Parts: sequence; C-alpha cells; structure tokens
Amino acid sequence: MTEPLTHIGKSFQRIDGVDKVTGRARFAPDLRFDHMLHAGLIRSPHAHARVLRIDTASALQLPGVKAVSTIFEVPKVIQYWFFLRTEKKKKEIFLYDDIVRFIGDPVLAIAAVDEKTLEHALSLVRVDYEPLAAIHDPEKALTETGVCLHKKGNIAFRVEKAFGNVEQGFKAADIIVENTYHTSKQKHASLEPIATCIANFESSGKLTVHSSTQLPHWSQHYLAEIMGLPLNRVRVIKPFTGGAFGGRCGLIHGLEAMCSVLSKKTLRPVRMSFSREEDFCATESRHPMIIRMKTGVSRDGVLVANEAEILSDTGAYGTHYIGVLADCLSTGVGLYAIPNYKFSGTAVYTNTSMAGALRGYGNPQMNFAQESQMDILADKLGMDPLALRVKNYRKAGEMDPVLNERILSNGLEECLEKGAAASGWEEKRSRKLQPEFISDGSIKKSPIKKGIGLSIMLHGTGAARALPDPGSAFLMINSDGTVNLHTAAADEGQGSRTVLAQVAAEILGVEFESISVSETDTDITPLDCGTHGSRQAYCGGLTVRDAALDAKKKMLTHAGNVLKVKPDALKIEKGLIFETAHPANAISIKDLMQRLQIQDMGLCTQIMGSASGIAPAMPGYYGAVFAEVEVNTETGEIKVVKLTSAFDVGKAINPEMVKGQIVGGGVMGIGFALTEGLIRKDGHILNPGFTDYRLLRSCDAPPVEAIIVESNEPTGPFGAKGIGEGCMVNVASAIANAVFHATGVRLTNLCMTPEAVLKGLKP
Amino acid sequence: MIPVRININTEWREILVEPGERLIDTLRDRFLLTGTKEGCGEGQCGTCTINFNGKAVLSCLMLTVQADNGHILTIEGLQDGLDLHPLQTAFLTESAVQCGYCTPGMIMAGHALIKDHPEPDDSLVKHCLANNLCRCTGYEKPIQAILKAATEMKEKSHD
Repeated sequence: MTEPLTHIGKSFQRIDGVDKVTGRARFAPDLRFDHMLHAGLIRSPHAHARVLRIDTASALQLPGVKAVSTIFEVPKVIQYWFFLRTEKKKKEIFLYDDIVRFIGDPVLAIAAVDEKTLEHALSLVRVDYEPLAAIHDPEKALTETGVCLHKKGNIAFRVEKAFGNVEQGFKAADIIVENTYHTSKQKHASLEPIATCIANFESSGKLTVHSSTQLPHWSQHYLAEIMGLPLNRVRVIKPFTGGAFGGRCGLIHGLEAMCSVLSKKTLRPVRMSFSREEDFCATESRHPMIIRMKTGVSRDGVLVANEAEILSDTGAYGTHYIGVLADCLSTGVGLYAIPNYKFSGTAVYTNTSMAGALRGYGNPQMNFAQESQMDILADKLGMDPLALRVKNYRKAGEMDPVLNERILSNGLEECLEKGAAASGWEEKRSRKLQPEFISDGSIKKSPIKKGIGLSIMLHGTGAARALPDPGSAFLMINSDGTVNLHTAAADEGQGSRTVLAQVAAEILGVEFESISVSETDTDITPLDCGTHGSRQAYCGGLTVRDAALDAKKKMLTHAGNVLKVKPDALKIEKGLIFETAHPANAISIKDLMQRLQIQDMGLCTQIMGSASGIAPAMPGYYGAVFAEVEVNTETGEIKVVKLTSAFDVGKAINPEMVKGQIVGGGVMGIGFALTEGLIRKDGHILNPGFTDYRLLRSCDAPPVEAIIVESNEPTGPFGAKGIGEGCMVNVASAIANAVFHATGVRLTNLCMTPEAVLKGLKP
Repeated sequence: MIPVRININTEWREILVEPGERLIDTLRDRFLLTGTKEGCGEGQCGTCTINFNGKAVLSCLMLTVQADNGHILTIEGLQDGLDLHPLQTAFLTESAVQCGYCTPGMIMAGHALIKDHPEPDDSLVKHCLANNLCRCTGYEKPIQAILKAATEMKEKSHD
C-alpha cells in the first residue's frame, strides 16, 4: 500500500461508546415489551434421571399462569453449526428425550404475567424422576460400562492424527520428558449473565427473538428448525451484549427454544432471564482436560517428536467438543516444526453442566501442556527457553501440516525480541533476584522468591474451510454522502463495529463520522457466521472491504461520466472525487449522490455495495507472554507482578482496541492460571457465585504491557489478522514457567493453588 | 404497601412499594432507568452501583424503603443535557469501555470517590474499584479514566 492510510492504524473511539457511558445502551435484560410474560425453568435436582411424569395441573390453575413447555416437546441443541451442512447431519443437532443429565438440566418452563406469579407457579409443579447412576469423572466415562449418558455411549468424539513416525522420532531423541496436565472448568463470567431472551411469536406466524447471541444467523437457523418456520419468519435481534467470550456461541441451553414455544402458545412476548447462579451452574464452560504429553528433543535443542493424548470432558451434552479438540490439534501441531507428531483426543460425556466455547477454544489447555514441556526441556538442555522457541517455531514460508496451508506471516520472533527487551528478560533470568531483608540487625532470606517465565502461542483467525464460515455485508450511500453499513458481525464489546467502520471509511475515502453501522438483526443484515474464532477484524474486515470496493467502483463510474474521464483516473479523498492528474476537476460525493438520487430524474439511483463469501485463508496469529511472579514460600501464594504480552496481529486497524484485548485477555489468563474453576462434588457446583468463583479484581490485576507486532498478513484486510482469543492462551503457561524459575516447583494442574506450591516445596 | 419519597436524578418521586422491593428493581422496572445493571444480585459484582446521598451503594442490596427521603443519582442523571460528565468523557477517551455492562457502575463508583477525594491517587482508585468486576478491560483503563476525570474536574472547579 503506497498511499498513506487515513483510517487504518488509528485509534478511533468506539462508535457505540456514548450509548454505553450514558446508560442508554440497552442490553437484553433491559428490554421491556407490552403484554410481556415472564418465564422460568424447573431444573433437574438429579445428576442423571429419567423424567417419568410432569404434573403442572395446579400451577396452571393459578390465575396469571399462561403456558407450560417441557423437554418432551422442546429439543436440546447438542451440536454446532458444522452439522447444518446436510439434512441428515442437521437432525443430529437436536435431541428430544425424557432424560436429564446434570443438576440444573431444564425440565420445563412456565410463563406467567409477572415474576411473583411465576415463582408461585414453579413451586406448585411436581416432577417424578427415576434417578439413574451418574458419572462425574471423565476417566470413569471411558471405562464404566454400566452407565450410558447417550445412545451412542459415553464417548462423544475421538480423533487421531499422526505426522511422520513418532516411534522413530523418540528413538532419535536425546532427552524425552513426559507429564500429565490437568486443566480446570473455567467460566466465561461475562458481567451480563448468560443469558436473557425475549421471544415474540405473532399471529402472522413470525417469530422475533431478542437474544445476546454471538451467532445471530445460526441461532436463526436452529430456531427455524425447532419451530418449523421458514427463515424469513424467524428474526433474531442481538441487542448490546455485556461480554461473551464464547459463552453465547449458539442457542443457550433451555433459553431461546423454550421461550419461543411459550410465545407461540400464548401469542405474547415471553422473557426469560437466568440468574448468576444459573449462569454458573447450567450454561457452558471451558472443557476441563487431562493431557498426557511426551516430548523428545535432540542434544542441540531440535524438537524431534511429540505425542499428545487428550481426554476432554464435554459434560452432559456436546456443542463444541469436536471443534475444541480440532483446535488443540491445529494449534498444538502448528506452533512448532516437529517432524514426528502423534495426536489423539477423546471427548467424553459426564453428568455435569456442558462445556462449550470459551476464549481460546482448547488452545489454553493444550498450550499449558506444550509450553510447560518446552520449559522443562530448556531446563534439561541448559538452554535459554527463548532460544529453544526461536529454534523450533514454524516460520513464515513453511507449510502448516494440519491446515495444509503455507504460513504467509509470522511475527513471533519480533514478539519474542520486543517482549524480552520490555520485560528485562535476560537480566531477570540470569541475575540472582531473590530478595533479602534485614531483621534483628542481620540479613535474612525473604520468603518471597521472584521469577520470570515465558511462553508462546499460535491461534487461527476465523475458520475458513474448517467450518461453514460465511461473511456478508452491504452498504448504501445516502444523498448527503453519508454511509449506512449493514453487517451482522456481532459486536460483543470487542469493538468490531468500530473497526469495520474504519475499513469502510478507508476504502470509500470518507470521514469516519460519515459511517453508521447497523444493529445486528437477521431481518436487515446479511448472512454472517457471527463472532467466534477471533474472526471479525479479518473475515468481517475483508467482507466490508469488498463491499466498499464494490460501492466505490460504481461511484467512480458515475463520477467519470460527470467529470468526463475514465473511472481509473479518479481518486477519492475526504469525500471529494477528483481527477488524479487534474485535482481541480472534481465533484464531492455529496453532490454526485444528489445528482444520482434526486436531481437527475432519469437516474434516481442509489449507490450500494455488497460482498459475501468465505475468507481466503485461516491465518495464524502469534504471541509471546513474559510473566513475572513473586512466590511466597511460606504461604504458597503466587503473585503475578507484571505481564509483558507481545502479539503479532498482522496490522492493528485500531491499536487502542488491540491493546484493550491484550490487557483484558492477560488478566483473564491470570484468572485461568490462579483462581478460576468451578469446583464440583457429586454433580453439584460448589462455587456458583463471585464470592467463591474468584475473578481478579482491580486490586489484584497487575500491569500488562501490551506490545503490538505487525507482520502484515497478505490475505488480510490491510494486513490484519486476529487477536481476541490468543492474548489469554499462553498466560497460564508463562506463569507456570515463572513459578518454576522462582522456586523450582513445576505445577502441572490448573488452577495453580498455594497448596500445590507448598506441596511442591516440601523436601 | 409503604409510601416512599425519593429524589431520583434531581426529581422528587412518590411511590408505594412492597417492603421487600429492592432499590435496583424500583429504578429499572418502575422508572425504566435501565442504565443501572444487575450482574449478580448478591453484592459481589458492582454493576448496580449508584450514588445514594453522595455515597456509592449497591442497589441490589438496598431496599427501596431504606431510600426514603434520600437522594439518588444514577448514570442517567450524570450528563448535563447533551454535555457528558467529565467521567463519561474520560471513559471514552481513555478506551475504558469495552462491552459496557460494568461501565455505569464503575462511573458511579468513581463519581462518589471523586466527591470525597477530589485528588485520588492510583492506589485509592484501585482500592475503590475493587467492588466493581470487569471481564473485558483488565481494569487499567477504567482506573486511568477516573484519575483523568478527577484532574479535569479539579481544573474546572478552579476556572
């Protein structure tokens, strides 16, 4: 790009910012409709049971109770949109049965005129269950033959892949390390609880659903199937969303489908809103994994073989278990050029709340194992962990064997260099850092041990060829030269609407303020896969770029007619179209549009641009995290003092927003490392609230230094690729490596607790 | 039902409420002041923070009858016509907003803090915001925004 960029690489304020700071932004829980009914669920008290009988007679007799819907008539959604591809596969998405499979599994929903009546009605319902034996341990799911969670068994999915010859690879290795890693059941914990919806089925036969979904169009597809409606009779509107992080990647278990059926029965808007406890106990989580990993390296630090065996706990139902294991595979095999790699993954059902998509999508678990292994190997080799990474990472120009694509951009080495410099890596690694203090006049060793560790990561942008991953946009130019951009690229708070407006402004040569971006609404925005896989800056950016190019081409054709020159002799800057060679020969977009749309009654034409399609690639984005910790050897407490996070995003379209992702993702990563995980006992979740499920607070969060590296991805819009998920992926591994540097204790279980540190310190 | 008189965003309102009605429900359901958010309903997340008689309080833990004869300020009452409050402006310019769900609570916590401590330092703001969870930003930017707003408000008061 030889022309200087006017809108790319500039930190515009988010276009929906004023709505958010004034309290005017309306999130799903804020919506109210006339004649709206309130719905709530009866949830299973059993981890595994058959529902024998549901008695709602006395509830229905209560004045103000309007309708009931049950699991006998409303299906569970147990697969993701990969299964929309064929009619046969599509059927596998929905499960109609009379079994409840975790404590909190919905059994029925009631709609009533107000919340008080609803509460009373719910207390009058009687459900008879036949309790069944339950499985709580994923390892038991593999061996237990007497208990079967689903018709096809307890194994949801199995994948095996081999590259090269792993046995021979290990024979050639000088050092082999093998460890087993455990990761926790992390929750999204978005501040807007998951989830609230209002479904409105009208007599005309049209269903409108307001729900904070990341995938408005796929939610529309699922609801059309469930309700037996054509797609043009199902409208999904996504209001402002209070964070998602993967937790809204599809229909919410027991929410939209139940509400839609209740609304059809009553012909009134039906609202259902889960409490924070319901969010914690009965919506999706990260997949807890047990990962056995064996890694072999030659004496000079070349990785020769790796074996990964993963057991993934998808809980009572599946939605994303295939994709999550596929991501473990692609990120695990993709990061390092290891000639011999054997990967096997098994997802099993257990009687607990289901796992699903959560920022990183399998990668944080896999990365924790892989990057801990690398640190152990560096220690055994007596090699700088940074040098070991540089020696082995898969560089630009090399083939990615899983995606079977050539890597076109990889700024990992620059991430490592800049991160090392900013964090003071070399000095802090080599220097004896352990502080001492003076007590009673003599120098004593402090119980605090300091350490620094690093790790790297690769994450894919979008899901081209892995999943149906369409993107579409159109824009129309108004008679005053302003622009309305229509896209369903769901903004969950990351800022995609702002970034896409920047792309449109850059291409069209208009001011940022001239671009308005539509709400996300399947009636007015064209098909988009939604927000997942760090895809909106890249996939959304490409689509909006192409739609804007389409409009620009049409605009220049008309301008050429007016200015009596060929369109390719024209340029647009700041809303003015002019002849490059004779800038005085010019017309403003506004004047041109006035002519086209209103003044020239022989034309009366509006310029519109559109684009739709799949991204040309699924480029990897990369990052290095340097974590500094202080470990108290008396209490076992791990304190993260600072993170330095350098990420290659191809090109930062809005640098402040990229940094916002890196800092926020860093803090979420520390939570994954140290404090976050649902604690389970016999199918009960023991910490379903912020008192006991501990997110980092302002006083706990250390500074995160965010460094942007730009490798210029050739397939990306202005060189951009993703960032949203990757920035939390390798935080836990960097912290584990820092704890080892500080104390010599290797922690292999997440979260890393003070108890585990103290146990490791025992001689 | 109990009669209650409350000043909400400078207007006196008289209502009849159930003894157990929570202040957050009065604000959101009766007066449609939905800028005040509910994130947990048990006083742990801070998204429902408002100002009551100048102090930051959690409206999910307060009963409306307890607010009788008191002054309430919510996020909707902060701006002056079209002009944003310096805190609102600072949250925009400092990129302190992502999803925006915790933002009203954070701003109201900051508002009460600056009233009592016109020149807060970094550690005081950090301490004050410890009641307000945020999942998007990692807290750094909201802290900066409150510090910046405090400086600007101080300068304005000297004008």
